[in-house]
Amino acid sequence: MDRQNSDKSVDEFEDVHADVELDGMPNWEARKLSSVFIEDVQRGPGVDKPFLIITLVLLLIGLIMVLSASFVSANYMTGEPLRFFLRQAVFAVSGVALMFVVSRIGIKTIKRWSTQLLFVSIVLLGLVLIIGIRINGATRWLGIGGENSTFRFQPSEIAKLAVILAFAQIANKYGRNRMKTFRHGVMPFAGLTAIIVVLLWLQPHVSAVIIIVATSAIMMFAGGTRIRYFLAAIIGVAVLAGAIMFPSIVNYVREGGLQAVTEQAESPQFNFSRFGHWGRRIDAWLDPDADPLGGGFQIRQSLNAVGSGGFLGQGLGQSRQKHRYLPEEHNDYIFAIISEELGFVGAMLILSLFALLVIRGYWLAMHAKDGYSALVVIGITSLLAIQVFFNVAVVTNLIPATGISLPLFSYGGTALWIQLVQMGIVLAVSREIPLIKQEDDYEGQELSP
Amino acid sequence: MEAKKKKMKSVSKRGVLFRTMFLLAVCGIAAFVVLAMRLYEVQIVNHNYFHARALRNQLRHSTLSASRGTVFDANGTILAMSAAVENVFISPLEILLENQDVQLIADGLSAILGVDREMIIERASRTSSQYQIIKLKANDEQARQVREFISEHRLRGVHLEPNSRRYFPHDSLAGQILGFVGTENIGLDGLELRYNHYLTGVSGRKVRMTSARGTALSFREFEDTFYAQDGYNITLTIDASIQYFVEKHLAAAIDQYRVLNGAICIAMNARTGAILAMASYPNFDPNNFLELSERELERLSSIEDEEEFSAAFRDAQFRQWRNRALTDTYEPGSVFKIITHAMALEENIATLDTTFTCNARIDVLGRVDRDNNPIPMRCWLRTGHGTLTLDEAMQRSCNVVCVELAVRLGARTFYEYIEAFGLMDRTGLDNASEARSIWWEESLFFNRHNHSQLAAASIGQTFTITPIQMITAVAAAVNGGYLMQPFLVQEISDSSGNIVRVNEPTVVRQVVSAGTSAAMRTMLENVVESGTGRNAQVKGYRIGGKTGTSENVVQIALSGDGAQKDLTASFVGVAPADNPEIVILLLLDTPSHSTGLSVTGGAMAAPVVGKMLADILPLALGIMPQYSEEDLQDINVYMPRITDRYINNAVGILMNLGLEHRVIGEGDTVTAQLPAANAQVAPGTMVVLYAGEEAPEEYVTVPNMFGMTFEGARRSLENNGLFIRTTGVPKSDRRAEVSVQSIPAGREVRYGTVIEVTLIDKEIIEIRH
Repeated sequence: MDRQNSDKSVDEFEDVHADVELDGMPNWEARKLSSVFIEDVQRGPGVDKPFLIITLVLLLIGLIMVLSASFVSANYMTGEPLRFFLRQAVFAVSGVALMFVVSRIGIKTIKRWSTQLLFVSIVLLGLVLIIGIRINGATRWLGIGGENSTFRFQPSEIAKLAVILAFAQIANKYGRNRMKTFRHGVMPFAGLTAIIVVLLWLQPHVSAVIIIVATSAIMMFAGGTRIRYFLAAIIGVAVLAGAIMFPSIVNYVREGGLQAVTEQAESPQFNFSRFGHWGRRIDAWLDPDADPLGGGFQIRQSLNAVGSGGFLGQGLGQSRQKHRYLPEEHNDYIFAIISEELGFVGAMLILSLFALLVIRGYWLAMHAKDGYSALVVIGITSLLAIQVFFNVAVVTNLIPATGISLPLFSYGGTALWIQLVQMGIVLAVSREIPLIKQEDDYEGQELSP
Repeated sequence: MEAKKKKMKSVSKRGVLFRTMFLLAVCGIAAFVVLAMRLYEVQIVNHNYFHARALRNQLRHSTLSASRGTVFDANGTILAMSAAVENVFISPLEILLENQDVQLIADGLSAILGVDREMIIERASRTSSQYQIIKLKANDEQARQVREFISEHRLRGVHLEPNSRRYFPHDSLAGQILGFVGTENIGLDGLELRYNHYLTGVSGRKVRMTSARGTALSFREFEDTFYAQDGYNITLTIDASIQYFVEKHLAAAIDQYRVLNGAICIAMNARTGAILAMASYPNFDPNNFLELSERELERLSSIEDEEEFSAAFRDAQFRQWRNRALTDTYEPGSVFKIITHAMALEENIATLDTTFTCNARIDVLGRVDRDNNPIPMRCWLRTGHGTLTLDEAMQRSCNVVCVELAVRLGARTFYEYIEAFGLMDRTGLDNASEARSIWWEESLFFNRHNHSQLAAASIGQTFTITPIQMITAVAAAVNGGYLMQPFLVQEISDSSGNIVRVNEPTVVRQVVSAGTSAAMRTMLENVVESGTGRNAQVKGYRIGGKTGTSENVVQIALSGDGAQKDLTASFVGVAPADNPEIVILLLLDTPSHSTGLSVTGGAMAAPVVGKMLADILPLALGIMPQYSEEDLQDINVYMPRITDRYINNAVGILMNLGLEHRVIGEGDTVTAQLPAANAQVAPGTMVVLYAGEEAPEEYVTVPNMFGMTFEGARRSLENNGLFIRTTGVPKSDRRAEVSVQSIPAGREVRYGTVIEVTLIDKEIIEIRH
């Protein structure tokens, strides 16, 4: 029934702008519904306190853990144990200031610059390929002041935010009805995503590709794109992957791999490394012990750290794996050090805080004053959740290594700034959620519009 | 319119809401549940696995070697000990990572440690390694210098680790007993091998947590030490001073008699079976056990062919490591007559006074040629000994009497006594592997119609035993009749002095009665007093003994003496004869026939044992000599220090000591004396006093005194400005003549040196007894 109605409404209100329609209207319906699941607390004026507090707590724990994880390698590499920590602390403090500044900006302002930001970030991604700083075979960084600049950033980080803001803006502009069409609900998003993906692929920066694609998909999903298109995309990707792998599998069969299986003879080991760099990562993921000093090294060391943490951990600062066993111990693999030092208890505490932050983020989205705000918060919250999930899953070898950092924790100044800007945007949205009136008023609103 | 719009709005909003709720469920809950489950799996379920795997990476183990136990002699003198030294090693990986200057390290270490510079550079290039030994067992001084070198240049990658080195303070003393250890401080021979597990101890462990680069953790120390348990200390029954005297006289005898195949000597406590000394030549220095002694090298130097040389070198190494007192067997010859006589006394076949007649030959049942004509056994004295008592038969080592005793005993009784005296079994000495004696099979020996084996065996021929078996049997014959189990280790104690094991003297069985044993002591004393063993006499002591001369079973001598047989001259001495404390068995394997002395136990071995006892009894065992009046003229005198005294005063001192003197010069004080103070000289020596003049600083040639009487020798020496002292039989004895001299003829010595001559009874020229 609902669907039919909705279909109809597409035709009827084709040219009605959804943002106009929703603008300034409290999302009472959603608040009422969501209060079934989440206790609706009385909010005071200003930003959402729980979201702010959880963010700050996570940031503080993150800073402490950066100190703990980095001082050994900092001492080794620079002779100053506090080098990385202090740099991260400077970015954290300025980042929090930035967060508060952003939280004061009106949503309207943000909305106005959304598409421009996406344009800028696409330009920056293009610029990276031309003047970017090349590190370890990938050109991902833009530096102010050239190669050796201390201040540099990844435009892909900005692109993630830009995608969220711009897609929210576009989806909101089209409205739910038009979003159901392929032309509006898929084409523009897929097209923009494809441009960004191509630019990222050229860097190459596969982890950013994964995140951008996932974020785009979530924005489309939240924006109202039909489920069938997602299913079609999934099937399409599967077919594509099969097509890419097919020649190799044919070769494998020709080499006698399958024949050997049937004849119980010694078969050439089937592995994914024939699919290049990422194939080797998949092999390392499937069997880290096969090449303990090569592809499996980092994941083995990571598992050693996580596993040796046990229930209560080795104690804060007492990690052994950070003593040059585990590479990247203060950025991508900081969660391994956390697990080793704080144990299952500490790791679960931090994951719980992240979960609460994410849940609170969705809660705020549900209560956002308009569709655009809701979509932006959904995007930012989902991005956060995706990054946390991918990071921890990699550290525990649940998925192949990707190189996604842990938000608010991993060492890296500009990334932290952008994360805090994202948090600031959520806070800005929360600031504009209308205050709940008395229970009577609420009922009155509902009954007499 | 308003209502419819409202409715549509709420529917679309509901759609947004449900999609948001879905995302919340997936991203906010499901994702975290998955992560929590995975963390639970890794951190809780598989904690032990990953923790152990991490620790395997993180922990570095180093071994703390236990200090090897010390070996003491019976009086606490250290015979073998371990000293702390240090290994110097480099970590090429660390050197690479820390950017150290390999050339500087190579220069410094090669200069300090004396190792090849190129070798260091080569080892430093093995950059995947963290442990490359540069020098094993560097001494204290080297280790100190390496440490200074490291701190001076702030080097990384050069390390020291403790090790220990086996050290034998007395060099070759008791070398074959002690054995030696390899580079890993594991016993390879002798006591070091046999008691390796006692001496080794339990090595400890140091566990250190390190970074991935193997360096110490920064900001955090983790180290755990399991201390090593040091090895047990072993106290031997060996007395280092007895061992020293034995080896000293053994070495001198080998030189003086030009003994070709070395010599063996055992000194044993007669009552307990404790081994007091055990030596065999050629010997070696356990500190450098691969090296040969100079004498051996000289012997090998004639070999031209390289392969042949290295084979001979290896053989010589094995030979010098062998404790021949245990591993070699020999025909004991006449020394064995002690056993035959003891049997006869015990079985009441004869008493000391029973008379026998020796016609120089005796027919033995079954000892016939092809035509059934008897082949008689001959006595060594071609004229025969005539009628003599059992005691006299022993003194003169009469073969005929011995054969007659054996025949009267019968093969079976004889055989039983052989077994009872322990001559068929290994003695069970706890040191090392013993050879097995070789005897006639019972079926051949117990032949009622053929006594030839029995007859030969009765005089110590046609069977072979080890020296340790022989001395143990002799000890049983003289100590009251008890066959003791010889032993070498007295006590084993741990590093803090708690006794772990004590070896008490063990009586294997009583072989003969106390009465028989007493009679044996009398007989043996008479042998030395007036028989073939006269040359073993020591003034002031009652010495017993028996001579022996036997053919070598295996003729391995490289002697150029041709026709003459290779012989073993042996002597067993017992002292004091009335209450034996010590038994010494000496074997000289193949002395040269060209020394002018007859190759017999009496002429060659007996004087050596006498000299050993003369040192051992007063100095090591504390048994003081009891001199008779007539002994005094043979007792050497210690020269007093009379330099700087007035002449009159000095002359008085000399006269009191029974020394003559002559004065050179006009002064009234003694400015120099010859011989020097504390030198031993024969009584009546003409001391030279220089008054106002210096003693001449020239060198003189030692004359050859072989075969001279004492007076002749003294004159010969005095003519050359040398002095004399004596050992052996009394100089008043009309048959005494010089056999050997302490410094060989022809050698240049300082004017005024004292030469010791050994006087022997020249008529003791016996063959095979």
